[in-house]
Amino acid sequence: MAGELFMNQGITFTVYSDDAGIEKIFPFDIIPRILTGAEWDHIEQGIKQRLRALNLFLKDIYSEQNILKDKVIPAELVASCPQYTREVFGIQVPHDLYVHISGIDLIRSQDGTFYILEDNLRTPSGVSYMLENREVTKKIFPGMLSNSRARMINNYPLLLHDILVSLAPQQLSNPTVALLTPGVYNSAYFEHTFLARQMGIPLVEGRDLLVDNHKVYMKTTAGLQQLHVIYRRIDDDYLDPLVFRPESALGVPGLMSAYRKGNIAIVNAVGNGVADDKAVYAYVPDMIKYYLNEETILPNVPTYSLENADVRQHVFDNIEKMVIKRTNQSGGYGMVMGNIASPEELIGIKSAILETPREFIAQPIIKLSTVPCFIDGKLQPRHVDLRPYALCGPDGIRVVPGGLTRVALREGSLVVNSSQGGGSKDTWVVDL
Amino acid sequence: MLSRIADSLFWLNRYMERNDCLVRVIRTNYILSFDSDQLTDFAWKDVIAIFSHEPDAATLYGENAATSLKYLVADTKNLNSVKSLVTKARENARGVQDYITKEVWEQVNQLYHIVNGPGVEGKITGSNSMELIDRLDQNSILFYGVIDSTMPRGHGWQFLNLGKFIERCILTIENIYAHSLKMDHRLDTARDILFWRHLLLSLSGYELYLKTYPRDQYTLSVIEYVIFNKNFPRSLIYSLHRIKRYLNEITAHTKIEGSVTLEKQLGRICSKVDFADMDTIKEEGLPQFLDSLRNDLSEFSKQLTRIYFSYA
Repeated sequence: MAGELFMNQGITFTVYSDDAGIEKIFPFDIIPRILTGAEWDHIEQGIKQRLRALNLFLKDIYSEQNILKDKVIPAELVASCPQYTREVFGIQVPHDLYVHISGIDLIRSQDGTFYILEDNLRTPSGVSYMLENREVTKKIFPGMLSNSRARMINNYPLLLHDILVSLAPQQLSNPTVALLTPGVYNSAYFEHTFLARQMGIPLVEGRDLLVDNHKVYMKTTAGLQQLHVIYRRIDDDYLDPLVFRPESALGVPGLMSAYRKGNIAIVNAVGNGVADDKAVYAYVPDMIKYYLNEETILPNVPTYSLENADVRQHVFDNIEKMVIKRTNQSGGYGMVMGNIASPEELIGIKSAILETPREFIAQPIIKLSTVPCFIDGKLQPRHVDLRPYALCGPDGIRVVPGGLTRVALREGSLVVNSSQGGGSKDTWVVDL
Repeated sequence: MLSRIADSLFWLNRYMERNDCLVRVIRTNYILSFDSDQLTDFAWKDVIAIFSHEPDAATLYGENAATSLKYLVADTKNLNSVKSLVTKARENARGVQDYITKEVWEQVNQLYHIVNGPGVEGKITGSNSMELIDRLDQNSILFYGVIDSTMPRGHGWQFLNLGKFIERCILTIENIYAHSLKMDHRLDTARDILFWRHLLLSLSGYELYLKTYPRDQYTLSVIEYVIFNKNFPRSLIYSLHRIKRYLNEITAHTKIEGSVTLEKQLGRICSKVDFADMDTIKEEGLPQFLDSLRNDLSEFSKQLTRIYFSYA
């Protein structure tokens, strides 16, 4: 039944490795994952703390750079980060907010501790699956959800809309807000339409927009209409061909000039990639200490940066216990798991690391905790992670209770990414 | 509304209208071709000639029912096969998913899955081909029902309908032309109702015709009916007046550069049909009349695109 519901609604994503981008259904497991209210409150505090620090870091790194001057983070690490965007240095963003929407990935080890796996601060996706999963669960287990008093998640689009409106550059009673999508061939296009529809805002492509006199306009059947806030689901690199990649056909020429003038708000802010870089990730606990003077609530997974020869040797010696990740890639692309990789793969990755150590990090493979899943007609344990979605507005941070639980559907697999054959579950935060 | 959205809605309905007509013509031809003593000499190659963009397609695929059906329904080389049309309609719908209702999207998807399902080529050429044709037919009718009962009125509605009626007008012209060609465009040729039945069923206007017109001089009265009857929803005059109505609704709210010129252009096309009758058509010649109308409409469509959809 669940499969049918998803098929008819066309809730799909696109896999790039298949030829010409094939639409696939995101597999859904009907057994909800349960988090207790107490567990959740701990996670929520940790995420709020982390986001406060990351926001301050982004403001700092694109203006005063005190954290570099005080040598908390090595300047060469930031300077060598390809996501550090000199083009936005000194730009003032509304309310000093950079990370409006985040999807921080958490994992739980077998002893029950939650770790931060990675910070997704650019254009995190998957929130539509979280919302649709809940709708499907409502149809499958109508009574159970309300009886267990699972916390409500479905006002996410409304919260997001409020935040977008509040970011309008001038004091306007009715600013125009739009969602900028790369178009129908993007893997998350379903989500873009879903969110635009839920918020009641137009879904625009780069070719729908133009910049004139540092203002952004939509081309409509009634002429040009000025746009004030863009929720973009396009990577920085493609936003403005005049500033970033000149061959990009997805972006809007001149957009960055309008951004610099303060005539358009862009959500999330441009240049956030420096804060969710996998090498900078290792320093987030230091940021929390530096900016907030607090102890980290949710710990990082231990991370080895591979530029130091001794550390590198340690990683190479224990490579079968390590996972190697590229610092500039996400979605499970470009990842090598030491325990299952072939000897050739290991030799290949080692030589790649020796060539450009800055582009890689190593982490010990954490035994993810498992939850029961309904597969092939019986309950079976599968490894999961958790991506809670947080929204930062001028009035503070809201974390949606629950989030997307991603499941590694293959038995024993630890990779949960949808592009690598993962599925998802509804996640209930239940107050006992 | 965004120009890109208006553009996609316009083409979504143009493709769906063309598909709707194609399926009905296929169905009519398929059923009529079983009558051994049929008086219509309309054959599969004539159907292909109406819908194909390839000049030699009729001779290449039109030999028998199986090759024709395969070409008209499931061949992606044919830009106007059911499969190609539905795929293009779906692409347009996909780009405006946030604008159209979920129901409309699901209905387009439904059609898409029917023509892309496993073994479609086998089904269409096998003994149960009627079943597939009927399913396609019913689902394109459903599409109009879903559009009508779920889509909001307003700008999008107007562009949807402009697409639908411009396409319908052109298709009626093409169908009249193809039948008139069978008698070398000579309006004084007496033809039996069994010949004209093909055209009337293809435009789903057979019963209304029987109820309305006397049973003699079929040729003249059928031509008059498909061009001038205001109660027949696929006549030229009906379609043109709907185009006029939706264009007026658009221009009433959005006066932009060129919209007045566009209204006048359409006014001239409408009056060409409004103030014509069978005598003036006989004088001008039916093919000449249809040709000039077709050219005017495609010019109008081009101007409409330039004024309202120029976003690229």
